[in-house]
Amino acid sequence: MSGKPPIGRPDLNRLRVMFRKDGRLAYLGHLEVINTIGRSIRRAQLPFSVGNGFAQRMRIQFSQALPVGAASRAEYVDIYLTERIDADEALRRFAEASPSAMAPVDAAYVQSRMPALEAWLTRSRWQVRLLGTGEGFTASRLDAVLDALREVGSIDFMRGDKPRTIGLDTTLVSWDAADGVAEGPFSTIDLRLETRSSNLGALRPAVLLEAAFKREELEGCLLDSLRVERVGQWHEDEDGTLIDPMAFDLRV
Amino acid sequence: MRLERRDRFHELEPLLGKVLHPARYLDHEWGAVEEQDGPFQVCMIYADTYEVGQPNLGIAILYNSLNAAEGISCERAYLPWTDMSALMRERGVPLLSLESSSPVASFDIVGFTLAHEMVATNIIETLDLAGIAVRAADRDEDDPIIIAGGPSAWNCEPLVPMFDAVLLGDGEEEIVDVARCVRDARDEGASREEILLRLSRIESIYVPSLYDIVIDDESTRWGYAVPREGTGAPEIVYKRCIPSLADTEPVAQRMVPYMGIVQDRFAIEVLRGCARGCRFCQAGMTYRPVRERPAQQVIEAVGEGLAMTGYDECSLSSLSTTDHSQCAEILTALNKKARESGVRVSIPSQRLDSFGVDMASAVSGARRGGLTFAPEAGTQRLRDVINKNVTEDDLYRAARNAFEHGWRRMKLYYMMGLPTETDEDIVAITDTARRVLEIGREICGRSRKGKNGVSVTISVAVFVPKCYTPFQWVGQLERDEVRRRQQLLLTSNKDRDIHISYHDSDVSVIEGALSKMGRAGFEVVLGAWQRGCRFDAWSSEFDYESWTEAGKAAGYDLEEVATEAFDLDAHLPWDHTSPGVSKGFLKREWRRAVAGVTTPDCTMTSCTGCGVCPTLGVDNQIAGDRHVG
Repeated sequence: MSGKPPIGRPDLNRLRVMFRKDGRLAYLGHLEVINTIGRSIRRAQLPFSVGNGFAQRMRIQFSQALPVGAASRAEYVDIYLTERIDADEALRRFAEASPSAMAPVDAAYVQSRMPALEAWLTRSRWQVRLLGTGEGFTASRLDAVLDALREVGSIDFMRGDKPRTIGLDTTLVSWDAADGVAEGPFSTIDLRLETRSSNLGALRPAVLLEAAFKREELEGCLLDSLRVERVGQWHEDEDGTLIDPMAFDLRV
Repeated sequence: MRLERRDRFHELEPLLGKVLHPARYLDHEWGAVEEQDGPFQVCMIYADTYEVGQPNLGIAILYNSLNAAEGISCERAYLPWTDMSALMRERGVPLLSLESSSPVASFDIVGFTLAHEMVATNIIETLDLAGIAVRAADRDEDDPIIIAGGPSAWNCEPLVPMFDAVLLGDGEEEIVDVARCVRDARDEGASREEILLRLSRIESIYVPSLYDIVIDDESTRWGYAVPREGTGAPEIVYKRCIPSLADTEPVAQRMVPYMGIVQDRFAIEVLRGCARGCRFCQAGMTYRPVRERPAQQVIEAVGEGLAMTGYDECSLSSLSTTDHSQCAEILTALNKKARESGVRVSIPSQRLDSFGVDMASAVSGARRGGLTFAPEAGTQRLRDVINKNVTEDDLYRAARNAFEHGWRRMKLYYMMGLPTETDEDIVAITDTARRVLEIGREICGRSRKGKNGVSVTISVAVFVPKCYTPFQWVGQLERDEVRRRQQLLLTSNKDRDIHISYHDSDVSVIEGALSKMGRAGFEVVLGAWQRGCRFDAWSSEFDYESWTEAGKAAGYDLEEVATEAFDLDAHLPWDHTSPGVSKGFLKREWRRAVAGVTTPDCTMTSCTGCGVCPTLGVDNQIAGDRHVG
């Protein structure tokens, strides 16, 4: 997809679409989401704009990549259209041409002179269910471990075979852990997590929790699996105000 | 034992977060047939990963045919990658279909595509993971009927101990005939033995268990198959051949995968068959006659297919698309549409002449990546032997035309180990590449360090003799000699803008052995699988040592098997499963090859007597007038 928004092209209409990603399709990677949305737009026969580059790609921009396996109630895509068709009509056509587990839920035209979604949406809220075993597999223990991790200030982890470090002082905003109902052989913890991204990186829930379960305070506990869902994304203003990407004052 | 049909996705789901590319296992793609009510259920399997199998047009055609038939449903399954299959075995999850996530072992019929020889161990792996007895003879009365078919079915003997029936030729009608036959027989309470007998009465269906293997003075060491007395099975099973492609559904590929697959575009079959007569080419002999889809049908179907799928690229698929008599008309019309919507049109290969370049130029719009030609052999003498009816001048003219049209990178396909090949033929490959490079430099200007972007890549495959070609009697070139010639090719090149790549000679030995062996060869395949061989077509997974050990354990030296020549009058292991091309024609073509005499394309001149049309009661179906190259 084209990297920068086509600033200086007032003839194009920036249609912002909020969509969800759930069920089996939570296991799609970001590139697979991009391809799927692109094909849905073509099937919907929306009057999309095509870039001038060598590859002649559709002009669309996405919010930050979701980790593979994570569901979401609030993903966003900006589609640049050559013709301003009614937003509700565009939403209807788009929904009919989309897989049900990746259905668009809202659409509106927004100001064209806004930064690209990926950089602009800096705050995410996550709902995570942890399934695991062990005596210490409790919300209070996890709470204490996350506190300790924040004290340390950063996490070292591997992405593929490359070592990475992410600072927690800015990326980990807050959390709230509660013991959940047992599922079969597993105890559960429900964690609500607020994260912030910057050009230094974005904190993924799985990275945080894997680091937590490596600490000795949770020794003897086994984290079997996670169910991760992004429940919201916002732009965080300089004064800390969260701005909804579909807010009325952004619409045109 | 037949497993219960029920949705078991919940058993697979916890594994998705632990494996590579979970999108392989998701289903729910756009265009997948979600309603699978049957009540008669078929599962079609491409025994490789999803991304390799999903683009297969053959399975798409069969999937549509079966799902369109009253009372019959068809689902798909692929072979999970090794990480997933290990977890499935650990947790007792059998192989599941995609659409309903039901155990493959719960279906009425399970069908395999024999896309190439190297899929052999993957079929065993698939059956084992599904919990279905690998040998047909070991299956229970109510087990699924296991069938196979596809481009590599012509010598299916090394695999047939696994199959209840093999479908020969065009499958879109015969697969429905097979499903109805099994359904009716099951409804009547027929035994498995009776079902197989009934299947053998259907045109083009080969039921291996009804044939004995006879080894005598007239046969090779692999023997030949003879119908068992009293079964009524035919001596020779001829392929099914649909007379007209125009009467088939043009939009076969309706499904849109989520993950990137190997041919990630909308494909339409614009013609079936090729009569150019290249003597090494099995598809050129086994898919005859040539049947073109009319231009108007292609153009309309591409519009419909792109709107239905949302793809931004379409491929005009066939063995030789630029031979289509209305190729220019189709491309002109499609390009007009494409310009309006950012859609790309591609064709899989170019004819080696100016018309081919003109067509490539027409399809690719502003894109000028690489252009591929297949001269196949380095000298005119050897090209005449293989009946590749192109000259050096054709290649140079095509190259000049391509460079003038803006291409900078040329890829040339060759084969090594062709019958009568000498060192002179090998060295001539780099001579030809050098001349093509010179033409490019002449047109695009000379510059140091390749700054003009002109380069030539030579890709050299090892020739593997295939059944039902005029070269079916010859032995494959020995492995050491292949390596010597590969070195000769490398050392004959001094130009840094000529890049050379070649196939692994070890893989070719196994492919050659599998192409030659008879039914007894199944013990080798089984032994290789038992030693851990699977995904043999993946260079990362291929294990030559395990294959050769399996060969030894079964009493065979696989290199000796691959390199063995057969007597021209021998009764061959595949004589009983025929694509209609006559043995007399193949022998004549072999003699002409040795004499360096070429044979023309019957769609451009007159009948060359291959025997297909009179044997199968069909004819070439050419929509317009064909261009002579």
